Amino acid sequence: MLNAAMSDLMTDTTTAEVAAESDAGLARRAASGDSGAFESLYRRHAGRVHGVITRLVGAHCVRAEDLTQEAFVRAWQALPKFRFESAVSTWLHRLAVTTALMELRTRRSGPRFDDGEDALDELGTPDSAGSGTALGMDLERAVATLPPRARAVLVLHDVEGWKHEEIAATLEMAVGSSKAQLHRARHLLRARLGGEA
Amino acid sequence: MNDYEEDALRLQLRGLRRDIEPQADLWPSIEQRIAQAPRESSRARGRGVRRLLPWALAASFLLALGFTWRMNLAPEPQPLIRQHAMVMAQDYRSALQQLDQAPIHPEIKPALDDLDHSAAQILSALDDHPEARFLLDQLRRTYARRLELTQRAVIT
Repeated sequence: MLNAAMSDLMTDTTTAEVAAESDAGLARRAASGDSGAFESLYRRHAGRVHGVITRLVGAHCVRAEDLTQEAFVRAWQALPKFRFESAVSTWLHRLAVTTALMELRTRRSGPRFDDGEDALDELGTPDSAGSGTALGMDLERAVATLPPRARAVLVLHDVEGWKHEEIAATLEMAVGSSKAQLHRARHLLRARLGGEA
Repeated sequence: MNDYEEDALRLQLRGLRRDIEPQADLWPSIEQRIAQAPRESSRARGRGVRRLLPWALAASFLLALGFTWRMNLAPEPQPLIRQHAMVMAQDYRSALQQLDQAPIHPEIKPALDDLDHSAAQILSALDDHPEARFLLDQLRRTYARRLELTQRAVIT
């Protein structure tokens, strides 16, 4: 039994092992320039990456797909410096969030997230145009109609399970602002869903 | 909205956390872009190859044993490579300790000593170059060869 275990360590990678290769193994090969390994990572994680980006940008399909593409290109560029201190999936997820939030920031001109209370909110979204007060809309769509900053905090806290400290650091805002935005987002969401505003 | 409804809403929100596959296959575009995308560490890798070459030559006696010299220099983090090597060394030593209790044929003993010496050299090289993945691969092969020879010696 011992010999069998040791021989497992020694044998070269087989086809079956390639199929079952860990994310870390694929990431290491991708870091050394293996685009095939990177494609495998893409196939495994595209849904998760695209999911969080879609929620953050408010269900804009084309924008979300552009950002998903951008997130994976950034991942390819950053992989050689990835230190494997977290799971590859966690790293990709964070990179996806950062990519989506950077896009939100660049789409608004003016102050940082923490400044100018409604700077981002005034951007609006195509989804919210004419439908912001619709009753009975499903939850996913209601979230998509929230103002970008409130939506980002709500999605990261209530959907993705982030802590206010992490959200504040990522969005470059105070922890108190993150909490205030969450309160505001929930209030708006209840209104969207036809509840008590 | 009462507390119950608040909790229900939060549960529903948590339920939104799901994968959403892109409607189109984005890989062809990504593949095209990464083919042109610069990677920051490419120069560092080149320097790494030059810096590690003397160690690779120093360990070349392993070629005489028929090993494949694989210069795989993926830029892995230093602690990870070294930690991996330490765990691997510990595992092999534990396995070998059990086998080494059996009498070893005198003709095989020098080869085993050589392999132990080379493993020690590679571990020492890893101390100085903890980012060198090829050294980790060499260590694995050296221990594999050591284990194989020991098993053969015990069997015969």
